[in-house]
Amino acid sequence: MALNVPTELEQHIDEVITHYPQQHKRAAVLWLLHLLQEHFGHLGKEQVEWTATKLGLQPINVWELITFYPMFTAKPRGKFHIKVCRTLSCELCGCGGILERLQRKLGVKPDENTSDGLFTISTVECLAACGTGPVMMVNDELFENLTPDKAEAIINRIKTTGKLEPQPLPPVLPAHPLEKRVLLANMSKPGYKGAIEDYIREGGYKALPKALGMKPEEIVAEVKNSGVRGRGGAGFPCGMKWSFLAKGAGQPIYLVCNADESEPGTFKDRQLLHYDPHQLIEGILVSCYAVGAHAAYIYIRGEMPYGAKILIRAIEEARARNFLGKNILRKGFDCEIFVHRGAGAYICGEETGLIESLEGKRAYPRIKPPFPAVVGLFGCPTVVNNVETLSNIPHIINNGAAWFRGMGVPGSTGTRLVCVSGPVKRPGYYEFEMGKLTMRQLIYDLCGGLQEGRQLKGVVPGGSSMPVLKADQIDVALDFESLRKAGTMAGSGGVIVLDDTVDIVQSTLNVAQFYAHESCGQCTPCREGTLWMEKMLHRVKHGHGRPEDVDLLWDVADNVDGKTICPLGEAVAWPVKAFVTKYRGEFEKACKKNGKEATDEHR
Amino acid sequence: MAEQTVKLTIDGKEVAAPKGMNLIEAAKLAGIEVPHYCYHPKLAVVGNCRMCLVDVGMPKMGLDKKPEIGPDSKPVIMFGPKLTIGCNTSVAEGMVVHTRSPKVIKAREGVMEFLLINHPLDCPICDQAGECRLQEFSVDYGKGQSRFVEEKVHKPKKTEIGPKIMLDDERCILCSRCVRFMRDVAGQDCLGFVNRGSYSTLTCYPGMEPNTNYDLNITDICPVGALTANDFRFKQRVWFLKETKSVCPNCATGCNTVLWSREGVVHRQTPRDNDAVNQCWMCDSGRLHYKFINDPHRITTPTVKSSAMGERLALTWPEATRQIAEKLMPLKGKGSTIAAIGTARATTEELFLFNKLMREILGAELVDCVPHVGEADKFLLDADRNPNTNGAKLTGVAGEPIGSRIPAIAEAIKSGKIKTLIVHGENVVKYGVTEELLAKLDLLVVIDTLPNKVTELAHYVLPGATFAEKRGTFINARNRLQRLNAAIPSPGIARPEWQTFAALLNELGGDGGYLTIEDVFADMARLLAPLAGLNLSKIGDLGVELKPATETKGEAKTESTAAAGAKT
Ligand SMILES: Cc1cc2nc3c(=O)[nH]c(=O)nc-3n(C[C@H](O)[C@H](O)[C@H](O)COP(=O)(O)O)c2cc1C
Ligand code: SF4
Ligand code: SF4
Ligand code: SF4
Ligand code: FES
Ligand code: FES
Repeated sequence: MALNVPTELEQHIDEVITHYPQQHKRAAVLWLLHLLQEHFGHLGKEQVEWTATKLGLQPINVWELITFYPMFTAKPRGKFHIKVCRTLSCELCGCGGILERLQRKLGVKPDENTSDGLFTISTVECLAACGTGPVMMVNDELFENLTPDKAEAIINRIKTTGKLEPQPLPPVLPAHPLEKRVLLANMSKPGYKGAIEDYIREGGYKALPKALGMKPEEIVAEVKNSGVRGRGGAGFPCGMKWSFLAKGAGQPIYLVCNADESEPGTFKDRQLLHYDPHQLIEGILVSCYAVGAHAAYIYIRGEMPYGAKILIRAIEEARARNFLGKNILRKGFDCEIFVHRGAGAYICGEETGLIESLEGKRAYPRIKPPFPAVVGLFGCPTVVNNVETLSNIPHIINNGAAWFRGMGVPGSTGTRLVCVSGPVKRPGYYEFEMGKLTMRQLIYDLCGGLQEGRQLKGVVPGGSSMPVLKADQIDVALDFESLRKAGTMAGSGGVIVLDDTVDIVQSTLNVAQFYAHESCGQCTPCREGTLWMEKMLHRVKHGHGRPEDVDLLWDVADNVDGKTICPLGEAVAWPVKAFVTKYRGEFEKACKKNGKEATDEHR
Repeated sequence: MAEQTVKLTIDGKEVAAPKGMNLIEAAKLAGIEVPHYCYHPKLAVVGNCRMCLVDVGMPKMGLDKKPEIGPDSKPVIMFGPKLTIGCNTSVAEGMVVHTRSPKVIKAREGVMEFLLINHPLDCPICDQAGECRLQEFSVDYGKGQSRFVEEKVHKPKKTEIGPKIMLDDERCILCSRCVRFMRDVAGQDCLGFVNRGSYSTLTCYPGMEPNTNYDLNITDICPVGALTANDFRFKQRVWFLKETKSVCPNCATGCNTVLWSREGVVHRQTPRDNDAVNQCWMCDSGRLHYKFINDPHRITTPTVKSSAMGERLALTWPEATRQIAEKLMPLKGKGSTIAAIGTARATTEELFLFNKLMREILGAELVDCVPHVGEADKFLLDADRNPNTNGAKLTGVAGEPIGSRIPAIAEAIKSGKIKTLIVHGENVVKYGVTEELLAKLDLLVVIDTLPNKVTELAHYVLPGATFAEKRGTFINARNRLQRLNAAIPSPGIARPEWQTFAALLNELGGDGGYLTIEDVFADMARLLAPLAGLNLSKIGDLGVELKPATETKGEAKTESTAAAGAKT
């Protein structure tokens, strides 16, 4: 093979391969591709074939991945890859202007390289920084709260210096009096840097020895009693999930931490990962002990390269103090945690898509049954939990289930991290007891209301896949049950505020475009239905709507709803149906605008 | 066994189905078709097409863990909020399934519509027309007029994937059957999808196209016209073709096949389901082997060598039979001067008559068949490339081991002991009976379908019929008796060999009287213990396994046929 891989890089690669079971070394493929792309700038024929040989794969297996994960590229890109978020929250904050300005400034269209080979601009989907939108990344650096002028200034600076300066982590947002910070408590303290000394100083790593002194069943029972429900989106009771594990089949058990944070409007795990990694690591270790796992993987989205580095460093810190590794705290328990990087696909947030991706494949969600608790990662029983869910575990162990149940309301115990984006005065993340605040309080008290002169039109309560609430529905309490009764769901905790300047048809188009782009393409209704909806909405937005399009749109969404392999089908159908139903007048108007039939140019 | 069966209701019909069976198969038991694309009984279930969505309800369980009984004194059935895919749902006791409710029909119409929006609308020029599941179901579930007015997604139209297969990505419905077959059955992980969402495209890595001996099976299992065999593509419209059930004559596995013919010409051969033999697959070499049938050089009429220069004179069958019989008649009782080489590619019936003629009537001792051995693969292809070695042994034609007497035959011709040789369907020059030896013979009678060195030297050449042109049986390596059927007539006045042997027997005073192939089989069944009680219709389309006859120990390695029965 012609590819010249430096010895050091190959050693690094060989080390990464050891993070996965020998017979599943294919799982290392995303890491390999990241490392090779960092070194070579792109993944062409030689890189594909080298990777295939290294991992005992066929080249097609690798080629399938490069074309699936948008972070990878077969063709060389500019030295600085500018990735402008185009998803809903950023659109509401004006990302369109940024893209336009950069294109004009650099004289290229999306995905073209500038002639000096310095820049490539791409649009990307939600970067999990919606509260500080519009945002963009240049290579690994995230730039927030952009305006066209700021974006241009960033490019100018890169041009003149030839360098990309590392961006510091922004300061942690101060707590609002109505908040109750538990998970955000440490990081809110002055001087807290998230290093192991900081964490221990604030009382960290007390839950681990306590847990190791308990029986695993006792921990599971404690977690069950706490009533903590999954914070990833579905809200499944965590302790119950753990007790479904198929144990005793002689197979290893795995724990996977879902740090893909990909649901538009959601950016809470980002804070937990970047500012308090040890809280998560302790949570993972205790959970592993409880469920009988000796290895855990943290699947972190590819667009959080710093997060991955922070976690890797934290794991080494924990290892140095024997919180992790062999015979932890001399209690006879062995446990390893590995960081696994994604590469830019929303569907890796869905737990079985995540597992497939972790195994080194296209993130095709699996049909269920079997459920991961029975057949999960590498064919073994597996627990998948969200970052926030796992970060709660040390607190439950330290303070007891009763303490946890004392927060929130029955059925929705504990606190919840909620992220607010869109045109409010103080967008950002907030932690409060579930059910103790209403959506109105969240928007008008915590977030300070809408920006000057704006009126509320609607609010999406749990990430862009959840049905919108109209302005007159916001007196709903923020807990699982109340939101369900209001016809929507708490979802991922991503609250997206829509004001009276928002064009609902455009927002629906934005949402449809996201899901069409992120559909894995495996099952028919989602694969074809999402793109159809996007195309239809695009046509309507460009003045070629037909009166029948309103019902057609709803019906196409209905033909996707509940018919697919994974809930991405619902994730697109629900918001589309809700937008059409609740803002039907706007759609009718858009479809009637020109009163024309679809013209040939739109066929 | 009772606890292994569960009772459920499908569209109001009570069905008893084996535990573990999925709903598509269970519905089939009740005569109900659940449309499906991605599901294939021999491949892993992936559930991606969503065509098989059905409504599934379960009895509501009371606190006593017994089904709750409703006011109509029937169990109360709880249906889920969503439909379920039939291919990944196992039958369960008391389950109630609707496959045609309005909810199910709406979902199915939706899926059909989704599959068609980016599909070319040119069935009339598609090679799959007539056997396309998409076309079929779109008639049943498609909407008359398309609601889709947007621009279609365009994909590569014609890509060669290897020398045998053409891929049209615009017709592909991404069911992944071909991917799973190549990876899990053929053992070459070479097909995959690139890109994402609606732009997902089936492809293979450049230079790593399918290249196993099983590739063409993907053209059979592709439910639409995306994968077509170059061999057959656009040659014929399937609805014009006649289907004849047959058996591949290319190795001892005896894959069950269908011959597709029109006006006396076979246009393709495809596998036919038989779990005891080939599941639903066949190898490409076997599949494409049929082409020799259509060879323009086929021998079409009996001939006699009329001069030393090798000129040949055509004969009628009665003339040929009479002349040969006249030459053989004086040799009766002088069996030590006669040798005969038959073929284990012939039917059991032919071998039976061949044996009777050579050994019983003429008294020849040096009788044998030619072994054809190749390499076995780990799947279907058997090392024994003769389809009927077991038949040749059962009838007594083959030596033990098969071919062991051929050197003796060559030796005896050389020494001048053997003066007469009868050869059926084998180019014996290649197996030690050289041209030089053949030239020494007083009488060389050859029965064959295509000319070769032996027919060139023969005094009499009698045309034979290929496997596609006759009825009869083969016994495969696992001792399974299987039936051939005539798909097409033989060219000229060529005829099935059993008729030729029967005619000679008649002339030579054997107690012939074989008017039909059934007569031959009946006689065979009377004389050969393993066939006792059987007749051609009892064999059926799937064949029967013979009781192991002491005489029919497998010669060639049968490991591949063992693998053929393994679940894949
Ligand atoms: C399309 C889709 C995307 C998802 N994305 C995420 C995600 O980014 N992060 C996450 O934790 N869970 C996500 N989920 C939910 C996971 O499938 C899974 O339910 C969750 O990780 C379980 O953890 P929990 O029980 O702790 O919430 C997603 C689900 C779907 C259907
Ligand atoms: S619903 Fe969409 S994302 Fe989920 S499996 Fe089907 S195609 Fe893939
Ligand atoms: S080519 Fe045929 S078999 Fe293969 S995925 Fe496409 S439709 Fe399915
Ligand atoms: S495996 Fe043997 S019998 Fe089957 S198709 Fe191939 S050659 Fe014919
Ligand atoms: S970061 Fe742009 S929408 Fe989330
Ligand atoms: S047959 Fe395709 S989903 Fe069941």
